[in-house]
Amino acid sequence: MIACLTIPGLELKAALQRTPTLALRPAALAPEPQGEPLLGPVTAAAEEAGVRPGMRLGEALATCPSLALVEPDAAGAERAWEEILHALEDAGFSVEPASLGVAYFETHGVERLYGGLEPALRRAVAAVGTEWDACIGAAGRRFAALAAASVARPGQVVVVADEELPQFLAPLPLTLLPLERGRYEELEALGVRKLGQLAGLPGGAVAERLGPDGRRAWGLARGGTAARVRGRRPPALVFACFEFPEAVGNELTLRRALAGLVDTALARPERRDRFVRKVALAARLETGGSWRRTLTLREPSGDADRIRVALSPRLAELPGPVVELRLELVELTEPTGHQLELLAAGAEDRAKLRNGLRQVRASTGSGSVCTVVEVAPWSRVPESRALLVPKDE
Amino acid sequence: MVARAGEPRTARAEGRVVARFNAPRAARVEANANGRPLEVNHRAVAIVREEWRVVDRWWTEEPVVRDYFELVLESGENTVVFHDGASGGWYTQRGA
Repeated sequence: MIACLTIPGLELKAALQRTPTLALRPAALAPEPQGEPLLGPVTAAAEEAGVRPGMRLGEALATCPSLALVEPDAAGAERAWEEILHALEDAGFSVEPASLGVAYFETHGVERLYGGLEPALRRAVAAVGTEWDACIGAAGRRFAALAAASVARPGQVVVVADEELPQFLAPLPLTLLPLERGRYEELEALGVRKLGQLAGLPGGAVAERLGPDGRRAWGLARGGTAARVRGRRPPALVFACFEFPEAVGNELTLRRALAGLVDTALARPERRDRFVRKVALAARLETGGSWRRTLTLREPSGDADRIRVALSPRLAELPGPVVELRLELVELTEPTGHQLELLAAGAEDRAKLRNGLRQVRASTGSGSVCTVVEVAPWSRVPESRALLVPKDE
Repeated sequence: MVARAGEPRTARAEGRVVARFNAPRAARVEANANGRPLEVNHRAVAIVREEWRVVDRWWTEEPVVRDYFELVLESGENTVVFHDGASGGWYTQRGA
């Protein structure tokens, strides 16, 4: 079975940790500073007052004048999510995070550990903790597990058996599908409002009308494919942070601070000569919010200048003065991340290589050792340039 | 030996089994409306480093039309994929 764990409104819950009293009042996550004035997740009290996530700010304030706006804390939400994933991994679940607040994991490896499917899922809910109101759905396929999680109440576990899948998915809304907003409207105009209605249409007709995205959505509405869950490699916990005595907005100062952070993080003994694949730059803003950007390097590197040059342009994206800058080395390679020459071209090594190849041939049979023979190195088609020819001597 | 994406990767020449080096392998690629890959074998794409088009053998009955993308995946792995204009499929390939 594949399980999907969701935490609805994780960004709001993370931001409310600084002001927990607002959780019981009408409150909503404020719009992003440079984005459209649309609300993020809202509290239960705000929902009771008629405010909905995604509502325009003006409309929301007209509907509920006492609505409190909570400053987004992107870095805080990322950190909280990372702690949740760590807690799940500590409990034995190999998780694949899909987005902030949504993660998948396979259950078959832990069912025996916890005495069955449901006890294992309850253990996952317990590992996350009650303050996050996690919901878990489990089914034979990823999309079905996500759909099951979407109907689960906070702290509840919903398991859907394969034979119940079509009936379970049929009454669910189309908004579960990863489609653009215009597509939902197009489908609604055609009278298609539920997954069951979409699944009942001929696949060819859906593809013709809505293109590849529509075809994919149609496949999901019928349960989706049985794609495997790939557990992530837990991220490295190497970081460096710098707190400014007063808020700084000057890019030159920030660049200098970044250079110092790169040097400090690379010098940490926990890095153990490993190369850096992915980095995250986070900042605590003067206004109380936070900012975070992650960057995958083109090639793993342990060179401070290279990492600094890759990260510097991100500083221009900072929305305001910062009081703290933090650099995290999110993913590191193995210590031998750069492949160098396999064997030096010395005569002794060649003799060793010949001897080794002879042993491989002897154990695996003729044709198992090949040599690369160039036949058309000028070709623009890569597989036409060379052949693998068995080397039997 | 002329290769076409999706064909078997081995052949017999002069009585010995030979294989094409860097033969394409079928891949599961999710692309956006512009044809740029978003996911390769269920792994998200972090950066498209480069893209180019190879048009070759257009004078034959088996022309080669491929849109290549050099990618860095979220996992940090570097890979090259191409969309084959003839078969409409996606393939990964080394040495491109």
